[in-house]
Amino acid sequence: MNRRVLLQLVVVVTTITAVVILGFAVANARVDAPAVCLGLLMLAGTVLRPRVGQIYRTSLDYVVVIALYLLSGVSSAILVGAVGALGQDRRHPLQKKIFNGAQSVICAAAGGAVFNLAGGPSGDDVLRHPWDAVWSTTAANATWLVVNALLLCVVLSLEPGDPTPLAFLRKVALPTSPSLLGYGLLGLLLAVAWLSGLNFLSVLLIFIPLYVSRWALSQYEAERRAQAATMRAFIQVIETKDLYTRGHSERVSEGVGMLGRQLRLPEDRQQALEHAGLLHDVGKVGVPTSIIQKPGRLDDSEMDAIRLHPARGVELIGNIPFLEEVKSAVLHHHEKYDGTGYPAGLSGDNIPYFARIIGIVDAFDSLTSTRSYRPARDVEETLDILIHDRYSHFDPELVDAFVEVIRARGWKTAADQPAPDGSVTVAIDHDDLSLGSGGGASGNAAGPAS
Amino acid sequence: MTGNAMTEGLELRRMGSGVVIVATGGALALIAIVLTARHGVTEWQYALVFGVLIAVGEMVQFRVDRIRNRAPIATSAALAYAVLRGPAVGVPPEVAQIIAVTAVATAAGIVPRAIAGLWWDIVVSCRRGISVACAAVAFAVLTTPDLVWTGRWQEAIWIAGAMLAAVLSAGISDALIGAGQATERYNRPFPAALRDELSVMTRIGLAMGITGMLLAAATALLGLWGPPVVLVPLLLTQFAFRRYSSAQRTYRATVRSMARSTEIAGFSSPGQNARTAALAVAIGNDLGLTPARMEALEYAALLSGVGQLALADPSPGGASLLRTREERQRAAEIGASVIERSGVLDHVAEIVRHSNDPYRHGRANNSAIPVESGIVNVALAYEQLVGEGSGQSPDKAMESIGLGIGAEYDPVVVESLRRIVGRGFRF
Repeated sequence: MNRRVLLQLVVVVTTITAVVILGFAVANARVDAPAVCLGLLMLAGTVLRPRVGQIYRTSLDYVVVIALYLLSGVSSAILVGAVGALGQDRRHPLQKKIFNGAQSVICAAAGGAVFNLAGGPSGDDVLRHPWDAVWSTTAANATWLVVNALLLCVVLSLEPGDPTPLAFLRKVALPTSPSLLGYGLLGLLLAVAWLSGLNFLSVLLIFIPLYVSRWALSQYEAERRAQAATMRAFIQVIETKDLYTRGHSERVSEGVGMLGRQLRLPEDRQQALEHAGLLHDVGKVGVPTSIIQKPGRLDDSEMDAIRLHPARGVELIGNIPFLEEVKSAVLHHHEKYDGTGYPAGLSGDNIPYFARIIGIVDAFDSLTSTRSYRPARDVEETLDILIHDRYSHFDPELVDAFVEVIRARGWKTAADQPAPDGSVTVAIDHDDLSLGSGGGASGNAAGPAS
Repeated sequence: MTGNAMTEGLELRRMGSGVVIVATGGALALIAIVLTARHGVTEWQYALVFGVLIAVGEMVQFRVDRIRNRAPIATSAALAYAVLRGPAVGVPPEVAQIIAVTAVATAAGIVPRAIAGLWWDIVVSCRRGISVACAAVAFAVLTTPDLVWTGRWQEAIWIAGAMLAAVLSAGISDALIGAGQATERYNRPFPAALRDELSVMTRIGLAMGITGMLLAAATALLGLWGPPVVLVPLLLTQFAFRRYSSAQRTYRATVRSMARSTEIAGFSSPGQNARTAALAVAIGNDLGLTPARMEALEYAALLSGVGQLALADPSPGGASLLRTREERQRAAEIGASVIERSGVLDHVAEIVRHSNDPYRHGRANNSAIPVESGIVNVALAYEQLVGEGSGQSPDKAMESIGLGIGAEYDPVVVESLRRIVGRGFRF
């Protein structure tokens, strides 16, 4: 049986389960003031949803459902949970919408079952037995999260492509569940505020702070995107000085990102690594344009100016509160494994980890790009050069990992580059392994092309 | 830096009206503590729990959204204690006790920070004390001590309404004090400062106030279970704001660093961008721009030279090559398109684009050009005349800028610059 059929089977089974549950819920539901009010609130939420986006959705839904466990009983909570599933992203295919709806019904029912098993109080008993209320709603909340994650995992394992169920659990489900558990207490507080006599006004007490904290989170995302966009724009300006290196920094950032994921770096370090890849040549802004664009070999003083660029880069980004690793990577990305690089002549594992990673991708992108004095090499040929230069230039283990990831996932080489300029015999790209002079490399990479 | 942070909290010379605020807060606290000591503390376990919340909130404070109150948990807890009622709390705290608990807890929170050399500010803490006192008085006036949560809507609405009034009075009194301080410190017009304070109050201020109400209601009904249950979502909110403010700091630092690249490339002298931006910000404050526009103005002043990076190398002396207006305008155009490419700073790009247009050909006839462009233009010119190395006296510089009023420079901006220099602005 292929995956498509299996997937459809899963959808059908969950839908039937959800319908059965809904039938029971309708038979047992109590239609009282909280159920009606919060149901209407849920409905209003579904109307507003397309504007406020996905992130608000889950939080609002399950807070209301948890409050209803305490106020009107499990059946009403399930019904209101189903109302919440009515409004979904219009772009989703029908199958996905149905599954999402069924999923929220099953989650609400599973949570409700655990809530009853844990002896959850209802009505005024909530105020008399606070501990029972805290414990049973938290257990219900945890069940909700587990069932939700399990159902999603089943679908993800049947749907080809990213993300895999494991990646989903590691990257999304686990990191978010503590805070979702915490926000679940707001459901309890909503019930308490309702019972205080405030009735539907209690909604304001809960959702205004919730909305403000969501606002802060969305602002956080916006600031992060703004920062990334600003850095990229800035890098592009620096690269306008040299037609041939255009896009280099972004490709290096892309490449170190691929390698970082292969090495399974945690999320914050992965981000730092990509930043470091983007910013590694930022110090070139301090190198006079005349040197960068100079045709022909550079003399010693000009070479010294080039060698200053890592330190200039650190000087420039020193005030940005990045992880310390970003700065050390920018400073040491021209060190070589055998200790012949600059600025410090570090060797082996003394070179910072990120700097070793960037060194590999930096050289790789330089070789696969066109230079004024030579055409681009193809990817396989370049990988052979990297393999040959293990130990002398690069960390051998990282080279192996990089070769593996490039062979598995391919590489998008630089596009829109000018053709090699026949009138120029030798010029300098300080990253270019095929050049023997100071900043470049020696040995194998200096192939017959130059 | 640490030395600075240590002394920042208690430097009387620079506090100005802060002295009055601290004196008022201190006097209030002293009277309240004496009164409470004579009457004895009622319901000491609630006093203790809320005191601990306030102290911890004060200890873990952080900066967010440019407001000076950095301790949302402490604020929420203090407001909640000010509006506490039964049934769980048998004898609700009196006004004097509320102020005393807040004062003692705040002090207990500040002392460890001061010892550790972290940032602390006695004025901000006193402001919080005063606004909590306002809330407590308002609540006491609007309710009687025997009004408790019974579960019926009649009492609930009354108490909630009184709570809301109390929280609002706290917010408004704090906004008034804050606006007064902003007027004094940055020479902002008072109405503009008050508008900014109130708009900040509707965001994090509202969240703090409503959370305080929630904390008070939950404690009244659940007893001592209330604070821990409310505290969990409250911490998560604080965490969200903390991440936001750290991303904000990172972004600002990034823009500042990018701006410094013109110095590293030799297009401008060290500190030139920062000086220009400081002057532009001073003018913006004087004209009472909104916070969002102030931010764009600062970025535009910092980034106004970025376009030069795409041009040829600077001359060996480091002075700007761009002698003619055409060259400068071309650089501004390039800079604007660079900034635009980021996709998030469009307004900044617009300011930079017109930052070298003479007033007569620009804003005088085209109201679409923002006044910020004129501010950056004047700030750049003044910095060139007075900044490091060129060393003209401010009077001399004002004289030569005055010659360009109406033709080169925006009269409104030059007038503002004259006020600022007259008040003794120095780089």
